[in-house]
Amino acid sequence: MYSRILVGFDGSAGAERALNAGLALAKALDAELHVIMVEEDLPKYAATIGEYDEVKQQRDAYFAQLERQVHLAAQLAQVPVQTHIVAGHEVWAIVDFAKHHAVDLVVIGHQGHSTLHERVFGSTASSIVAHVPCHVLVVK
Amino acid sequence: MNVWETAFLWIALALAASVVSVRLALSVALAEILFGVLGGNLFHLQPNEWVNFLAGLGGVLLTFLAGAEIEPEAMRQHWKASLVLGFVSFLGPFLGAMAYAYYVAGWDPNAAKIAGIALSTTSVAVVYAVMIETGLNRTPLGKLILAACFVTDLGTVVALGLLFAHANLWLLVFVTALAVTMAMAPRLTRWFFRQVGVHTSEPQIKFILLLLLMLGALAVKANSEAVLGSYLLGLVLAGTMAQNRDFLHRIRSMTFTLLTPFYFLKAGSYISLSALWGAAGLISVLLAVKVVAKTIGCYPVCRWLRMSHRESTYTTLLMSTGLTFGTISALFGLTHGYITQAQYTVLVSVVIGSALVPTIIAQAFFKPAIEEQRAVRTEVPKRASLVYEEG
Repeated sequence: MYSRILVGFDGSAGAERALNAGLALAKALDAELHVIMVEEDLPKYAATIGEYDEVKQQRDAYFAQLERQVHLAAQLAQVPVQTHIVAGHEVWAIVDFAKHHAVDLVVIGHQGHSTLHERVFGSTASSIVAHVPCHVLVVK
Repeated sequence: MNVWETAFLWIALALAASVVSVRLALSVALAEILFGVLGGNLFHLQPNEWVNFLAGLGGVLLTFLAGAEIEPEAMRQHWKASLVLGFVSFLGPFLGAMAYAYYVAGWDPNAAKIAGIALSTTSVAVVYAVMIETGLNRTPLGKLILAACFVTDLGTVVALGLLFAHANLWLLVFVTALAVTMAMAPRLTRWFFRQVGVHTSEPQIKFILLLLLMLGALAVKANSEAVLGSYLLGLVLAGTMAQNRDFLHRIRSMTFTLLTPFYFLKAGSYISLSALWGAAGLISVLLAVKVVAKTIGCYPVCRWLRMSHRESTYTTLLMSTGLTFGTISALFGLTHGYITQAQYTVLVSVVIGSALVPTIIAQAFFKPAIEEQRAVRTEVPKRASLVYEEG
């Protein structure tokens, strides 16, 4: 049913649940599994390149650690995985990736923000659901 | 207020700006400007003599760091195209904004010149951040755009440094000292860095400060602007700095901790909220003038460089961004009495608007072909796959 699955991963508990679900689905369906990690808290409108680059280097180191975590989980589950670390807005990076890589299913974790937070800012999950051109599995 | 009370207030605002910038993933410079606006309008934050010195030194070091960030190799590869694109990117809005300020808004000639200079800039850092997100920074087009941004800013600092200078002996001395320093600085710096090495007392940073302050002193004698020498020194030392990343980190930390907060808070404190409301129309028009002038200058050159319509529009919009040098130019105009506080408010608001609006439009409607960029940026580690193949 699904031949290419994309998991959004940021190291949170919800994302870990999504990763486990993605690994299980990919194994059961023999699907290609991609994991995307989005560096989204880089400084916008920086005064110098250095200001941006220093934060980027910190984020790169953090996400490299997450990438190792993903590969370890994939090895344990015996599922091949391809990881992608991209900079940008979490929602749009996932939506763009899904569009341009013909992804069938996006698996994301539920973040569990407060009702007020979701009313004011909307949730990442609902924004992704609204914009990706494929099925979305939100794991709680 | 005694000196410690003053210092406490400024550092409290700087700390608040840092925390907000980290939480909101916003540039600390922008956050400091906004906190400066609050400080100036709500708490009557007033720069005094030592604040002015720290702010001035912050501006000098910030400009040096901006210059030192250029990639000499990219500049060498694309020097012709970047020179043309960067120059028209400077000249179009410089002439357009100056003409509008003088003929339509009725500003006096010096104020109009400051308007032209402040709005001629391109924010290299804003462009760079956008390119990282699209992956353009790794492509020849991205490297060309970045190199062109440095040329635009060079045009800005040269105009700022020379348009208001007095044509006298001091100007000759300054220009000569600048030329000699630029010629000798790379070799001298490498030699000195090797001699002293890294030490807690930071002789390397003091050496760079010495060069910057010497050029700054001579620039002020000639009624020029210290940032001209700083930027040019940064440009010629960019190759040396690229080999001393740790040095760059240390000098950047010092600058962003102790100096630029005073600079950006001060820049924000002069923005008058009452003047801002009254000038909303002029701010919008000047922002449009900047973007249109950049378009008239850059778009045809982009097409001439065989970029597609989408790439040309994207490049033009990115070249329309501004922040650091626009603020520096406006603050120079205010502190030298060339513009009023109301005019300063207008210019800095346009500069901040130009960091936001063109970027948002470019990202939303004209992002270049993603597939190609993604293919470059998408890394496919094979570790997990290999394990299974072997297993």
